[in-house]
Formats: sequence, C-alpha cells, structure tokens
Amino acid sequence: MKAISQSIRKKDHDPKIEGRSRYLADYNFTDSGKEILCGKLLRSRYAKAKVLSVKLPELPEGYLYVDRGDIPGDNNVNIVLDDTPVFARETVEYIGEPIGMLVGADEKEVERLLGEIEVEYEELEPVTDLRKADHAFFNYEFGHGDVEKAFAEADKVYEEEFRTGYQEQAYLEVQGMMAEPEEDGKMYVHGSLQCPYYVHGALARALGTGPDGIHIFQDVTGGGFGGKEDYPSILGCQVAVAAHKAQAPVRCVFDRREDMEFTPKRHPSICKYKMAVKDGRVTAVDCDVIFDAGAYSTLSAVVLQRGIIAAPGVYDIPNVHVTGRALKTNTVPCGAYRGFGAPQTFFAVETMMNHIAQDMGEDTIRFKEKHLVKQGDKTSTNGKYHFPVPLPAMLDEVDGLAQLRKKHEEYSKPQTGRCRRGMGLSVYFHGAGFTGSGERDIIKATAKLHKYADGTVEVLASNADIGQGVRTTFPKIVAHELNLPVEKVYYNHPDTARVPDSGPTVASRSLMTVGELLRRAAIKLRDIWVEGEEQEVEEHYKEPDFMIPFYLDRFEGDAYPTYAWGVNAVEVEVDTYTGLAKILGAYASFDVGTPVDYNIVMGQMDGGFLQGLGYASIEKMDYDSKGRIRNNSFTDYLIPTALDVPNLKVTLHVEEYPDGPYGAKGAGELPLVGAAPAYVEAIEQAIGRKLNHAPFNAEDVIAALEEK
Amino acid sequence: MVNGYAPKTLQEALEIRAHEKVIPYAGGTDLMVQNPKNAIYLFLNKIDELKEIKDDGEYIRIGAGVTFTQAIASDLVPQLMKEAVSRIAAPAIRNAGTFGGNLGNSSDKADSVLVEFAMDGCVRLVSVNGERVIPVEEFFIKRRENNLRDDELIAEILLPKAKCSMPYYYKKVGGRNALAISRIAFAGTYLVKDGVIEDISAAVIGGAAKFQRFKDIEKMLIGKTVGELKANIDEYVKLYSEKYIFTRGRVSAEYRRTVCMNLTKDFLNTII
Repeated sequence: MKAISQSIRKKDHDPKIEGRSRYLADYNFTDSGKEILCGKLLRSRYAKAKVLSVKLPELPEGYLYVDRGDIPGDNNVNIVLDDTPVFARETVEYIGEPIGMLVGADEKEVERLLGEIEVEYEELEPVTDLRKADHAFFNYEFGHGDVEKAFAEADKVYEEEFRTGYQEQAYLEVQGMMAEPEEDGKMYVHGSLQCPYYVHGALARALGTGPDGIHIFQDVTGGGFGGKEDYPSILGCQVAVAAHKAQAPVRCVFDRREDMEFTPKRHPSICKYKMAVKDGRVTAVDCDVIFDAGAYSTLSAVVLQRGIIAAPGVYDIPNVHVTGRALKTNTVPCGAYRGFGAPQTFFAVETMMNHIAQDMGEDTIRFKEKHLVKQGDKTSTNGKYHFPVPLPAMLDEVDGLAQLRKKHEEYSKPQTGRCRRGMGLSVYFHGAGFTGSGERDIIKATAKLHKYADGTVEVLASNADIGQGVRTTFPKIVAHELNLPVEKVYYNHPDTARVPDSGPTVASRSLMTVGELLRRAAIKLRDIWVEGEEQEVEEHYKEPDFMIPFYLDRFEGDAYPTYAWGVNAVEVEVDTYTGLAKILGAYASFDVGTPVDYNIVMGQMDGGFLQGLGYASIEKMDYDSKGRIRNNSFTDYLIPTALDVPNLKVTLHVEEYPDGPYGAKGAGELPLVGAAPAYVEAIEQAIGRKLNHAPFNAEDVIAALEEK
Repeated sequence: MVNGYAPKTLQEALEIRAHEKVIPYAGGTDLMVQNPKNAIYLFLNKIDELKEIKDDGEYIRIGAGVTFTQAIASDLVPQLMKEAVSRIAAPAIRNAGTFGGNLGNSSDKADSVLVEFAMDGCVRLVSVNGERVIPVEEFFIKRRENNLRDDELIAEILLPKAKCSMPYYYKKVGGRNALAISRIAFAGTYLVKDGVIEDISAAVIGGAAKFQRFKDIEKMLIGKTVGELKANIDEYVKLYSEKYIFTRGRVSAEYRRTVCMNLTKDFLNTII
C-alpha cells in the first residue's frame, strides 16, 4: 500500500461522534444573533392543474406569504435548462409542486395557517404513465458501424425490454436551506448541499443581484448521494425570496415524508435492447433508452447522457446504435443519485447478455468474458480506452472470494426443494468525472492553497464533504506534498465568498480532479515556500493531452478520460414458499485507482454496494394513478438493514490513473452501479425464470413462480 | 411538551384512569411515532407489578409491562412466543415494547397478539371496579378497535400451559430481516399422540384488518389420524383457502394468499 493510502482519522470524526457538528436544523439563532423565521411550502394537490386563485387567511403580524409575484429576479431556477420555476407558474405540473411559501416565527402557527389557505384549481389531464408520455425533454441518438447490416446477416436476433424503478437517496439528514439578508444588502444562503456554486448561480438569477450580491455556505451535511446536487438550488431560491420579502432570516427544513415525496430520486427506466449474434459473438446492439424525467427537466439531460453512453456495457460490439429520451410525466422531477443513469443501462445490458448466453446454451460468465473490451478498443462514442482494462484479473479476484465459477455452474442446474440458490455476476465501469467536455468547457475548476504566517495551510475549494471525506483527503494530499503533518493543513466547509469555483461535488470527480489540482498547487507552494510569510497559490484545470475531444451533438470522442471498473458477484438463497431471498454473500472487486485513504474508500465501496443491493431487491417506490408517491416513509420504503446484508466481501484492484493524484480515479459512484444485475441474475438461477426488472422483491419472486 | 402521570402502583394508575381521559403508555414505541396532539399519558413503566412473568400452574402469566427483551430471556415464556417477539423490529424497540402495548395498540400486524390468538390466550383487564378475564380473540375486535373500557387497563396476558408445551410452527414474512412489519405471519401449535391429532390451532396475519383463525377446521382435524391428514391434506388446505380473506396493503392480496397457503400446507406437513 502506498503511504498516501494509509488511513488517518477523518477530520470530521470527532465533532460528529461527539455531537458537536452543527447541521442546519441545529441553529437556534443566526450567527449574527437574529431570530430565524420558519418557512413552509404550499404545495399543489394535483398532478396537473391551473391555479385559479390562492386565498389566504388573515395573517398575524410578522407572518407573510410569498409566491412567484415576489421574485426580484426571474422565476427560473438555473440548473441545466431553466424550465424549473422557483414557485409554480400558472399551472402546477406535479403533486407537491411548490406554489408559495408561508413564513412566520412559530412553526406550529405557520403549519396551522398553511392548512387554512384555500387554493382554487382547474384540474387538467396529467400524464403519469411513462409509456404514454410523449414530450421528450431530451432526445439523443448516436452509434457507429452498420447496425442494419449486422442484423440482416445475424444468425439470430434477440429483443427484450428491461425496467427499473425509482430509488430514494434516503440520506440521514433531510433537505433544508436558510437565507439571511445581510447588513451590506447581500443575501447569505446556506444549508445542506453538495454544490455551493450551483446554488450561487441559481440565486444570482432568481434574486437578480448578479454574482456579487450573494454568497453560499455549505453547512455540515448529513449525506447527499446526488440528492443534494440540484435540489438545494430550488429550495435555496425559495427561502431567499422569502427572506428578501421578510427582510429577516428564513429557514425551511423538510420533514421526512416531504423529503421522500417531493425531492428528486433515481429515474425509472424502460430500456429496449436488440442484439445480433453471428458465429457465437454479439455483432450489433441497438438500444432505446427511456428515462422518466418527471415534470421538469432538472438534471435529466446529463443523467441520460451517462446512461446511454454506458448502454453497450463493457463489451466490444462492432456495431452500435443508441437512442435515449428523457420524457416528461406529471410526477416529481427525478435527479441525481449515485450512478447517475448508469445503473439503469448496466442492468439492461448485463441481463441481456445473460439471456443471450442462456439461449445459446453457453455459460454466462464465459460469454461475457469473451466479449470484454480491452485497452486500445473503441468506446461506444468512438473514444478510446486509453488505459489497461483490468476486468479479467478482477473476475479472477471475485472468483477467489466467491467461488464464482464453481457455484455459478452448480446453481445453473435445475433445482427442486423449498430453498434454492443462485449466483449472479456483473461486469461494468463507471466513467470517471464529468461526462463529455463539461470539465473543460463549463466547470473550468480553480483551486487555491492559502498559507498563513504560522505555517498552516488552508485548502480553498468548493467541494462539499458530504460524508465521503474530502475534508480529510484534500488536506492529506496537500500535507503529503508539503511534507507537513496533516494537522497543519485544513479544509473548512466552503463559502463562495471565500473560495474559488472548483466545481460541484458530483460525478465522482472531487478527489480525482480537484485533488489533482491541489496536488499540483501544493508542489507550486513548496517551490516558493518562504517561512513566516503569508502566501497563496492557485491552480486551474487542464484537460489531459491524450483525450479525444468530445462533441455532444454527435456523441463522439472520449466521454471520460478514464474509467473505474467493477466486478460484482451475489449469492442468494430463495425460499420458494415466501419469496424471501437471503443474500448469502456479496462479493466485489473495485478498481478506483489508488485509494487516498484506504478506510474512506472501503467505506464508500461497502456503502455504495449496499445501496445497490437495496436498489436491486427491496427498495420499491411507486405512485398511484393520480401521480402521488405511495412510499413516502421509512415504513413503506424499505432500505436494507445490517441484518439484510451480513456478508460483504470487497477487495480493491489498483490500476493507477496517471492524471489523478497518486493514481486515484473516481470512486464514489462505482460500487452502486453493478449490484442490481448481479442480484437479479442470482435470483434467476435460483428460481429458473427469465427476469427483466429491478427491484426484484419477494412479491416478484412469488409472482414469477406462479406464472406457468 | 409531554403531559402525564407516572404512578408507581397499579391501584394508583387505576384511580387516575377512572377519573381522567388518559392514554395508557406502556413502552411508547407506537405512541412516540403517532405523537397524538395534546395527549395526556398514563405512564405505566414504573409499575413493578405489571412487569412480572409467573406460572400459576394453569397459565403462564405475562405482565402487561413485560418487554419483549425480558420475555426472550425468561424461562417461563413459551418458545413460540419467544420466536415471534424476537423478530419484532430491532433490539432498541424490543427493549421498550411491551405485551400490554402490543395488544392495546390494536394493530392487526402485532406479532405477540398473533401468538395469543393461536394459543387461546386470555387477557386480564382491571379497573377500580374489579377485573375480568376474557379471551384475546374476544378482546381484539379488529384493527384499531378493541374491548378495553375507558376505566380499564391491561394487566396480564394468560397463555394456557397445555398449549405452551406443544410442538409449534412459526414463520414471519416481512419486507426485510429487521425493522419489518409482518406482511404475513403464521403461528400454529399441535399435539399428536399415538398417531392421532389431539390438538391443533393456527392463526395468521394476512391483512383483512384482523387475525384469522378457523376453529371449525381445527375441530374437523382433531381426532383424525396423521395418516388421514396425509391422505387428505390437499382437501384441508383447500378448506383453509376458502376461508382466508386477504386484502391488498403494502403487498398484493395475491402474494398474501400464495404465501399463506404455502405456509398452511407446510404447517400441516409438519404434523405429518
């Protein structure tokens, strides 16, 4: 293990363990000693309706109501497109859409008054069924080779449809934001968030102040998993509009039901795959990917891009054609969740490959192995796998952990008896960092180091520690290069008034991209270091020279500089009387490059893998015919407990990336991506049925067994 | 702000119960979640006489204030009951949750109450005016509805010792392995002597807002030989199938039916 990989105590460990960390809900007063008003959202009761009138009860002094008429700037939240309003326009587009906010000193009184508001609606016909949705926010198409010819010449053509469901991030801390008007006329907005500069951009527009009229601070954040990528921009605008009108601090913290029902989650998907097989090899793939975007486009463009780029999987298929659409439905907008579109398409392609192999009478593992991409091969977008692809070695590692090949073969024979077993495999990647040229063209990250006269060094960057450890790993990198004890280097929660824009905390990019900027900055500082002097250095992102430029209009070029790789195996035992599946073991080899702190990386790997197993099995969320989410509490939306996954065996395979710090690549998202296909294949083996959707729970097992 | 009384004796508690509208609070694991507005609680956790587990020769008597953790550690509580309550929620809940609370809360998914149904359990109810002992199946009417009078408290659960020593069958089907509400649960006891079924009882959780037990089918089975049951097992399973009512809730009625019939058959097969 490299020295940099040696684990240290996380910088946030003591305050969190001792209960000293201050989360947004913990503020009794603002730091300037002011009373905080409570804001609560008036939400639409219908999935689609015209709002004819809002009749307020008589409001006591100090209580006020804001809606779109109170927005000083414009009523569009800057995300990717600007179609999401701060407060609803003339029509509401989903159940729970914020129409306005009621603000006052006493939370109970605000709640009571909120209940007395009368909203007159004219109901309109909503679209809630994804299959009937016809408005595409985004519509992409790309490919290479000659798919038509390959299908015409094929020995056999396979077609199948795959479905995946919602997944809720289920972070410990719910969404919450606060806005405070400051004496100099600026608006200070802070809360539980991942991307301070995203919120900054959104606020500048909604308040019409320009970038200097506001600043954003990230409070201690109890988990994000993507759920706090775009949403804090929306809630931040809402509390800021209220604080602007009240000229007083306003905070809005959701309760759990509100959070589960009305904030973004993973996009449900329908993927139609068609593959051609000639002489025992897959010669062409044609996939049509549909994501349920919900009522507004929010992050769906980028989620869909990552999903469709991964659609052909880790396989060398000469002819590729992919179409992808993010469709509008009158449901809660979907957004980012660890994996970001890739879990959906990897589920589809991995399961499709299994089904083809089974039909051909081939072992699914061997069938996948003989199609694996290798270094130098083309990617789905005519980019290149520039670095070694370690999948064969990782497969052997997982085989060692799980007795994968032996058990897979044993369980593939027909089984009788009440309890039956299965072993499933998935092989996949996660593109490291932003998709396409966003890092170069849009983010243009800058990071700084500030050295104080006493020799301590502060990291100035905009990446949020949301549990993944950047408050620890950033200082570790800097201390390493400066030969300082890590106590001498610190990284506070970012405030946009103090830190440069080093980009958002997304896409498994922080450590790989910003960590590398900091490493280079530290080398710079080391070279100019003068004892006793205050000094500052700055570093800017530069795209690695080897990259083939990416063109989004054609989906051509390197979508990612490099890839994190994953091999998962899941072994289950299914009780055919009850449908309950027991996970006997879940095994993985993950390649995220060099771990910059072994414990932190292993925590990410175990946690992500577990979330993936939840997605695969019991995490089911659905809405009714009116478009209302049914599973809005932890009683109705089940996530795995420790007793559900007793045996995770994870190993790291290190394939160093030369442009990441010490060889590190993107890590955070990878471990979630491949759990669903491995789990569902294991269930398939156990019950001897062909399955094509996730999550696959006990009820699904019984239904599949009952089907003759 | 929580308002309430914390009496130290049952007599004191009954006096308060007789004169004021209070919500009996045993472990609080449901009430803390429900958090009803302006509630005045009668906290029962300081009353030692409700925390006893006794054997009176005829019944195992479990005090209303006995926690599930306490029951699991007891030598007196029958194994079937231990198995059921050891699958309730998680250790923290089992440390607080009580038998009296589980019954008084009137949930049709209460795991200890299912066992009381299957074992012909009774409940001793007390008030300042006296006491009455009635079968649990008479006490529990349906989900959220029971026969507790406004001045009464649940004092004890009584499990007939004859049933306590019989072989049993138990299976809980939840959405996951811990912190899971029963989607289906099956509890049964039986006694076979010299190849003849001397006793049998079975109850299920399966929706329909109640616990389901069919004594008429049990009566038909008592006195039959194991051989007769074996020869006609599908007939008996069919009888149950015709009686059970399943409703859609967190899972479909079809799922409940299939699983429950699988378990019913498995139970009958266990007897053979």
